Amino acid sequence: MPVITLDNVSLEFPLFGASALSLKKQLLRLTTGGLIKKSRDHKVATVRALHQINLTLQQGDRVGLIGHNGAGKSTLLRLFSRIYEPTQGNIYIQGEVSALLDVMLGMHPDATGYENIYLRGILQGLTRRGIKAKAQSIAEFTELGDYLAVPVRMYSNGMALRLAFAIATTLSPEILVLDEVVGVGDAAFIKKAEQRFEELMLQAKIVILASHDLSIIRKNCNKVIWLEAGELQFFGSCEEGIERYEKNNN
Amino acid sequence: MKTALTQFAKTRDDITQGLLQWRIWLLLGWQDIKIRYRRSYLGPLWITISMIISIYSMGFLYGHLFGMNMHEYLPHLSAGLLVWTLIANMIIESTAAFTESYHYLKQIKLRYTTLVLRIITRNTIIFLHNFLAFVLVIITMHLPVRWTDLLILPGVLIIMLTSWAFGMILAISSTRFRDFSPIVTSLVQVCFFITPVIWMSRSLPPRYSFITEWNPFSHFLSIVREPMLGRLPTAIDYFITIGIAAFFFILMLWLLNRVRHQIIYWI
Repeated sequence: MPVITLDNVSLEFPLFGASALSLKKQLLRLTTGGLIKKSRDHKVATVRALHQINLTLQQGDRVGLIGHNGAGKSTLLRLFSRIYEPTQGNIYIQGEVSALLDVMLGMHPDATGYENIYLRGILQGLTRRGIKAKAQSIAEFTELGDYLAVPVRMYSNGMALRLAFAIATTLSPEILVLDEVVGVGDAAFIKKAEQRFEELMLQAKIVILASHDLSIIRKNCNKVIWLEAGELQFFGSCEEGIERYEKNNN
Repeated sequence: MKTALTQFAKTRDDITQGLLQWRIWLLLGWQDIKIRYRRSYLGPLWITISMIISIYSMGFLYGHLFGMNMHEYLPHLSAGLLVWTLIANMIIESTAAFTESYHYLKQIKLRYTTLVLRIITRNTIIFLHNFLAFVLVIITMHLPVRWTDLLILPGVLIIMLTSWAFGMILAISSTRFRDFSPIVTSLVQVCFFITPVIWMSRSLPPRYSFITEWNPFSHFLSIVREPMLGRLPTAIDYFITIGIAAFFFILMLWLLNRVRHQIIYWI
C-alpha cells in the first residue's frame, strides 16, 4: 500500500548568487586565513524552503496543496517526487511516484514528436515494447498527426503543450504528483485534458495536486495541505482547510 | 513500512541503478549524436571524415616537420589522435554532465551515474566512427592485423571505467564550482602537448623521458594505441592505469557519498 510520511522534515537551499558558486570565493577564503576556520563557520547563505513538516498520506488521499507564491509548494512536490531530499528529518515514500511538475520540462526541442514520446517513456523506466504499446494512443490523443515526425522546436506553443501533456499523462502511477495544471491548448483539447486528468486521478492511489485555483482543489481533493513560508499551516479535510485559507486571505 | 535508507545505501543505489538504467544512457548518448548531425546529408559520417582530414593534414605537416617515415608516423599519429579524442572529450564533457541535463533532473528522479554514462556512450559512438578513419590508414599503409589487436578492447574498457569515475568527480565539482569547467578544458589542452600524440616518446632525450613516464595520459594512450599498432602495452602501463582507475573509483565513492543529496540544489 502506498504511503508517504514526512517526519519533521526541513529543507534549506544553498543560495548561490552568481559569485558564490565560483572557486574564487573559496580560494580567497584560503588566502585570507580561512584555512584555520572550520568549514561550518562560513556556510553558504541558505534559504529555508520547508520547516519541520510532519504529515502522513495514505491510500485514497487526494491532497490539494495550497499557499501563496513562494510558500514552498513546488519544493514539497519535488520532495514527494524523490527529486529533493530533506536537509533535516526523514521522508518515507512507498510506492511508485510519477510527477508532472512542468509539462514542458523533459522535452527535447530538437527531437521529433515521436522521439520525445520514446525518450520520455525510457526516462520513466518503460521498455521499448512498453512504449510501442502506448505510442499509438499518445499519438491519437495529441491529434497532431504528421507533425509528430517534425522536431518539437517547430511546434506552436499549443502543439508542444498537447504533446507534453499526452506523454506525461500516459503512465498510471500509484502516487501522482501534479503542479499547477492550467488550460492546455484550445477549448476542445482542454475538455479532453480534463477528462484524462480525472481518469488519471481515479487510477492513482495517492494524488497530490498543487493549484492556486481553489475550485479545482474543491472538485478533486478530499484533503488539503496549506503551506505558508515553508511552514505547515493546516493539514486535514478539504472543506476546513480551504475555509481557513480563505479567512486568512480576507 | 518505514524504510530509512542509510546514506551509503543511497550512494550504492545511484551507481547500481544508474548502471542498470542502460536504456536511458544508451538512448540519451545516441540521441546526442543523432541530433548533432540532424539535417546534415552525411550525418555522423562527418565524424569519420573530419578525423580523416585531421590525420592526413597533421600527418603530412608534422611528418615532414619531424622528418619521420610516413609508414611509421601516420599510424602512430592516427591511433594516438583517436584515443586522445576519446579521453579528452570525455573529461571535458563530464564537467557539464549534470548542468546540461538539469531539465531532466528537476523533473524526474535520475541517477547521477546515468548522466555520466550518457557522456561515455556518446564518446564511444564517436570513437567507433573515428575507428573507421584508422581502418583507412591500416588499409592504405598495408598494416597487418594480428590477434594482439584484440587487446584494444580491455584498453578501451579501462579508459571507460576511469572516465566514468573521474567524470563523476568532475561533474560533481564543476556543478558546485563553475570555474572548474574552463580550468579543466585548458588543462586538457596543455596535456595534449606534453603527451606523445603528435610526437613519439623515443624522440625525447633520455633525461627528459620522465615527461612520458610520469604522465598518466601517456599510459592510458599506450593501453589502446600499442595494440592498434600491433605492439603490446607494458605491464607498467596496465599497472598504472588500473591503479588510477581504482583510486578515482574510491575518491568518487567518498565524494558522492558525501554530497550526493546536495548536488540537486547546486544545479
